[in-house]
Amino acid sequence: MRIACPYCGERSLDEFLYSGDATVKRPDFASPTATEEFVSYVYERTNPPGMHRELWYHAAGCHAWLVVTRGVATHQITSVEAAREVALKEKSATKDTK
Amino acid sequence: MAKQGLTATSAFLHWKPVANSNLTVDARETLTMASFAAAKGKKDELNAAVRAAYGVDLPKTPSRVEGQQGVAFVWAGPEQWLAVAERKDGRDLETEFKKTFGPLASVVDQSDGRVVVRISGPRAREVLAKGIPLDLHETAFRPGSAAITHASHIGVILWQIDDKPTYEVALFRSYVDSFAHWLLDSAAEYGVAHA
Repeated sequence: MRIACPYCGERSLDEFLYSGDATVKRPDFASPTATEEFVSYVYERTNPPGMHRELWYHAAGCHAWLVVTRGVATHQITSVEAAREVALKEKSATKDTK
Repeated sequence: MAKQGLTATSAFLHWKPVANSNLTVDARETLTMASFAAAKGKKDELNAAVRAAYGVDLPKTPSRVEGQQGVAFVWAGPEQWLAVAERKDGRDLETEFKKTFGPLASVVDQSDGRVVVRISGPRAREVLAKGIPLDLHETAFRPGSAAITHASHIGVILWQIDDKPTYEVALFRSYVDSFAHWLLDSAAEYGVAHA
């Protein structure tokens, strides 16, 4: 499997570390149901076949965090984005709706 | 009482220099190096400061540019760079950059932490290609190209100087012996004796 790092170009899998699900959001610790929300955030995964959005870390390269959309059965990768850009986009989207 | 203290020691104590018609390998021991990253929201101002002081733009893609005053800038990650210059007349890039860039960048000295090895000659590409998982063919990696990757599992920053070809590899000082072990094994078929 090869991942096209948006900064370095296409690199071999051995330069990257898998760093978990990119879709979960850290809950608010002040929420009255924080314990349940954190259990879900940390542990509960449905692991469906098909496309996943995953965090990958370019450990032996530019040290960027990436959001990779990957088919877990086929290893087909349909998009690789810098996690920083994804986060900034989400932040500006939330700001716009407020 | 005997004087106590630390003595500067070469990182290349166990090396014999390599030089034949296929390959030369040199330790570049007289360098001053600093890594730096743009402060939040200051990358344009930092670039302007570099342009004013050294006459070049900072590379935005994995590449290396040679600026004025003998400083080369190597891309080392998004909004991060490694700068390399000869350490003569007590030159120290960390001090120089902190003075020049002020609050525009975070600067960290790399002169002791990292070493640079220069690998040159008609077989340099083949020797490196055995342990570096990148396409080093002249149509894919050229003079001015740079990359952060690994060489025989040792983290390196690699750049190409010219099309002899000459490459330079920056790696952590304590990995030099392991790196040399691999490099000389890799070069054995080109008439290089293992140290």
